[in-house]
Amino acid sequence: MAFHIQCDGFGRRDFLKAGALSLGGLSLGTFLRMSHAGEVATGAKAKSAIFINLAGGPSHMDTFDLKPDAPDTHRGEFKPIQTSVPGIEISEHLPNLAACMDKFSILRGVSHSIAAHNLGSEYVNCGNRPLPSLEFPGYAAVVTKELGGPADLPQSVSIPNAGNQRGGYLGVKYAPLNTGKTPTAGQPFSVRGVTLGNGLTIQDVEKRQGLLTSLDTAFTGFEKQNQLLDGLDRFSQQAYAMITSPSARKAFDISQENAEFAAKFGTSGFGQSCLLALRLIESGVRFTTVTMGGWDTHNEGFTALKSKQLPPFDQGLAALLTGLAQRGLLESTAVYVTGEFGRTPKINTQRVGRDHYPRAMFMLMAGGGIRGGRVIGASDAKGEGPADGKGISPDNVAASFYHNLGIDPTKEYHTSTGRPVMIVREGQPIAELFA
Amino acid sequence: MSHPIRTMLALVMGLIGWTAPGQAAEVAPAIQRFQTADTVDVPDFQQHVVPLMGKLGCNGRACHGSFQGQGGFRLSLFGYDFKMDHEGLVERLDKETPADSYALKKGTNVEPHKGGKRMEIGSWEYNVFMAWIKAGAQPVQTPKKLLALEVTPKELLYSDKAQTTQLKAIARWDDGSTEDVTCLCRFQTNDPQICDVTQGGLVTSNEPGDTHIVAFYDNGVVPVPVIRPVSPNYGDKYPAVATRTRIDELVTEKLRKLGTLPSEVCNDAEFLRRVNLDLTGTLPTSEEVRLFLADTGTDKRSRKVNELLETPAYAAWWTTRLCDWTGNASSQLNNTGIGRESSDREWYDWIYKRVAANTPYDKLAEGIVLATSKKPGESYEELCQRMSAAYKEGKSYADEDGLVYFWARQNFTKAEDRAIGFAYTFLGSRIQCAQCHKHPFDQWTQTDFKMFEAFFTRVNFARNGSDRKTYDKIVADLGLDPKKLNGNKLRESLAAAAKDGKLIPVADLYVQAPKYNKSAASQKKDNGKKNTVPDSPKAKLLGGDVIDIDRLDDPREPLMAWLRSNPLFAKAFVNRVWANYFNRGIVEPTDDMNLANPPSNEALLNHLAQGFVASEFDMKWVHREICNSDTYQRSWQPNDTNILDERNFSRAVPRRLPAETAVDAIHLATIRSADAPAFDTEIKSRAVAQASTPRNNNGAGQLYALSVFGRSSRENACDCDRSAESSLLQTLYLRNDSDVYKEMDRGDGWLAELGKQYGAKAIAVSETPARTRPANYKKQLAELKEKAEQLKDSDDKRAAKLAERELLAFEKRYAKLPPAPDKDVAVEPVKKATLPDDVLQPIIEEAYLRTVSRFPTQSELATSLDFVRKADTPLSGVRDILWTLLNTKEFIVNH
Repeated sequence: MAFHIQCDGFGRRDFLKAGALSLGGLSLGTFLRMSHAGEVATGAKAKSAIFINLAGGPSHMDTFDLKPDAPDTHRGEFKPIQTSVPGIEISEHLPNLAACMDKFSILRGVSHSIAAHNLGSEYVNCGNRPLPSLEFPGYAAVVTKELGGPADLPQSVSIPNAGNQRGGYLGVKYAPLNTGKTPTAGQPFSVRGVTLGNGLTIQDVEKRQGLLTSLDTAFTGFEKQNQLLDGLDRFSQQAYAMITSPSARKAFDISQENAEFAAKFGTSGFGQSCLLALRLIESGVRFTTVTMGGWDTHNEGFTALKSKQLPPFDQGLAALLTGLAQRGLLESTAVYVTGEFGRTPKINTQRVGRDHYPRAMFMLMAGGGIRGGRVIGASDAKGEGPADGKGISPDNVAASFYHNLGIDPTKEYHTSTGRPVMIVREGQPIAELFA
Repeated sequence: MSHPIRTMLALVMGLIGWTAPGQAAEVAPAIQRFQTADTVDVPDFQQHVVPLMGKLGCNGRACHGSFQGQGGFRLSLFGYDFKMDHEGLVERLDKETPADSYALKKGTNVEPHKGGKRMEIGSWEYNVFMAWIKAGAQPVQTPKKLLALEVTPKELLYSDKAQTTQLKAIARWDDGSTEDVTCLCRFQTNDPQICDVTQGGLVTSNEPGDTHIVAFYDNGVVPVPVIRPVSPNYGDKYPAVATRTRIDELVTEKLRKLGTLPSEVCNDAEFLRRVNLDLTGTLPTSEEVRLFLADTGTDKRSRKVNELLETPAYAAWWTTRLCDWTGNASSQLNNTGIGRESSDREWYDWIYKRVAANTPYDKLAEGIVLATSKKPGESYEELCQRMSAAYKEGKSYADEDGLVYFWARQNFTKAEDRAIGFAYTFLGSRIQCAQCHKHPFDQWTQTDFKMFEAFFTRVNFARNGSDRKTYDKIVADLGLDPKKLNGNKLRESLAAAAKDGKLIPVADLYVQAPKYNKSAASQKKDNGKKNTVPDSPKAKLLGGDVIDIDRLDDPREPLMAWLRSNPLFAKAFVNRVWANYFNRGIVEPTDDMNLANPPSNEALLNHLAQGFVASEFDMKWVHREICNSDTYQRSWQPNDTNILDERNFSRAVPRRLPAETAVDAIHLATIRSADAPAFDTEIKSRAVAQASTPRNNNGAGQLYALSVFGRSSRENACDCDRSAESSLLQTLYLRNDSDVYKEMDRGDGWLAELGKQYGAKAIAVSETPARTRPANYKKQLAELKEKAEQLKDSDDKRAAKLAERELLAFEKRYAKLPPAPDKDVAVEPVKKATLPDDVLQPIIEEAYLRTVSRFPTQSELATSLDFVRKADTPLSGVRDILWTLLNTKEFIVNH
């Protein structure tokens, strides 16, 4: 196998030997700092994660960052309501979330400068501003690479699809499994490749496995000499375990959930996706992504929000957070909710909606070491930008998400071109989130 | 113990020497001259101080070479920005009392230094700095040019572990001076398994194999091959190996040095499968296998190669690869063509036409590099008329002279991205490092990069045309108002108008006139010529000439001329083609051709590149030359001497099928017999004929498999955008994905064909059971009814309507289905049907031919027959056999 040279002129092996080199270009101090960078920070509580992707860019002014005192041109038609935490108010169309405000924290005045859907989405899906020459891995890829996953379940699942949770320069082996569809309330749910469908029984699978073992012999004796052949054998064993294991089937089958518990999630696709996410995390899946679209509310925005978007979102997310807490999982599960940007504080009166606006947006975080019931950061009086002028960068939120999971966001990977890249290039964990 | 060959080499080197007559005497190494502090020699900033700082690690990435600097002190990463480095350093020097210089105190850790002690006080390194400061710490006025860095011995041959050699490096400068710079070089091993090197240039052998040691000094990068044979039978003791072709000779020459014996030539079935996959991106049909195995001609392999080269499948597969390298990605081409999704398709078609016609590669490249939308002398309006007419008449974009979309990509708009992308596509090189700092593995400096970038600044892809007035007029004539329509809506309206045969405005790729620097011009008022002094008058080809591009209508013309004659142009292509056949390039990674990453077999790469040029860039020549060699036709089965070889081509290395090939292979393996022959000719539906991954896709159909198997995203100017790795999701897909079952069970598939042939009664084609109600049907129904009832009279009309609709849909879906079966009761097995062995055997053989392209062995046949006899029905048994074969490693691997 080729020894790979890194862009800075040092191979991996040089790091390992740095202590012994007198003129190797790396001091012992640097070496120690770098080796520490790879270690999992002690005391991290979160061990798995749920990322909720609100595709289209939800309006901050109509959800978690209302400006009741702003002029008519900006304010919008929704009224704020009190939450369970005194002093924090959110939109009247989020009553369930208001009731469990102690479970999560709101970041206001998050700010960046990309107003295009896909680029903005790429940004908030990895915490690095997109570059034309490099595809960054999404959170799911990094977390599963760092923390691994169970043997008989996929490490990472996206409901219904991964969106911008890509393998990036880490490669396809860290790409999540897509369910391809959202579950329907009370219906058994199966996922391509993992759960048994097409009338197959465990017996059928075992019978075929036996046949495969006796016929897949062309390379017998040479498997261990070749990385590819060895890998195919390992994946074959793992796939067999996954398909036949009861845990995968059980995890995906939301119809097996306790009816009373399931009812809280509502019957919407998003609610059911949240329920599935919870079951997957409970079974040991490391990372789950849920995508909810429809937030690009240019036209008739208020109507769309109050009738179509906010009710299922409110019910589903509140049920997820309280459900996680109820099952003792909130402490070990980092939850991160975001869209790609906020929406223009000034209402577009022609279309009665709001347009793309990255200068001020909201994000939500919960679980693990994150204390709930707080607001971090603020936007200015009319929601037009961060109150302090600088705001919170998506990079810092990403760094906090990783920190919550015990992953050092400054850890360096090498791309296949040998270029050294930190997991989050510009971010620092936000201390207040963990205070 | 010194090896005889090495001693001989060293001796030869010694005889040749480096002080040819008429040259200045060689300057002794700094390590000798500055051994004591009282030396009178004066070091030079470029020749001594900067290299020494590199060697001591001062300008490394983790130290002062970091873009943020370190402790307020920044040096250019890997040196070569002499001005910045000098300014930064001088601030930290004391010219009056050199020993008090802050920089020296830090470097010796007298002042606490985060980077620790880099040198001892009084050491030769210390003395170099001292002597330079004493002499006034002079900067570099005009950088000297390093003519050559000569490293000896030129090749290192070892016979055992722990043998050592001292390298010597001589710098030859343009002022005529030469100096032993061994102590100032950085050294690196490309594979520490094979050998190690100290920073003093002492090489120590490790395990058998071959690699390079690379020496770096100034902008010189010199690789030195290192070989330790893997068996005692090398050199003169190497057995006679037949070498049928020039490739075989050149590969064997290298293998002889290593004592590596090549594997046998593979059998006909293996060859046929491999050459089909590699040359045409798909499996041979079962009929093709039968015919080929039955053919007794001795030239049947070369006939097959020629035959395959003429198929549309060949053109489709190599168009796909060229689309990878040129970066054809729908995601980067939003709103660039007439239809919303058309540009990537047109790109594909344009290349396809040329591959099919075997247009010389340099002509193909020229069509891309020099592309403009307008023909010579054409106005923008005429362009719109021509393109609108072509669209109306359904003319193919492939008939255009140039491929403008290469320049239209969103990730190819900035000059620096274009410089990087151009070098990636046509030179197989990564120059991006030099965008921000001296390239660590190549000769390129930041200045080289900047001056190369200048060729790309004037090329403009104007989506809304190059003539605003004409554009507005055409739009107005169509009755459209751009102010009222957003971008997408306007595009849709224009595409619709184009379909109706109306005149529409089109995008225009053109070269802008040079921009002039007004302030510079005004300073030159005295000569009476205004606006004549260009902003950046010069551009420089990488390692080539400086060109005054402002005098040129199209700066890309000298670029193309240079490209055509650049050895890397041919090398990059033949190397990528080679990698397609051998799992890795002669230079690997294939897009990282640089001085520090030399080819594993230089003579072989030169032979192919020179032959390619001599054939006038005949792409088929390259394929023929490779496919007809024994080297290509070797078995994957290793022997004791080549089991670890992956870089010297002594055997075939098993590789996972590429994404498009895997998808097409599953389709062909399950296809109805009558449809199989057309698979190489009717390629429209094949994965390999799809232009690129659509921008807005939901991952449905083929796209899921294509993404799981790592089809190239073509977004990052990197050959790594295509993945050859295996992954769990790939295995899950083959084992248990409904798409694979759909392929197996499709109505026009092979299993259905067998079902018809042998009687539907005996054969259950699908295992899909009758659909039933869900287990909790009653409960769900009751809940829905209750909900609908509750909402019926409420104020929320919308919710009431929804609930009612939900109830109706639920009833409609399940009411007529039978209830769910009781889980404890076994389903009645289908009545057992059988087929005689003489019917079954050919079916099993056919399954093998369709998937692994060979007949089953006796034992495989016996196992399979036994399995089918015991199956519920013969067809369900055959279905399991087919499933099993699709899941063998032999299927998904090209071997």
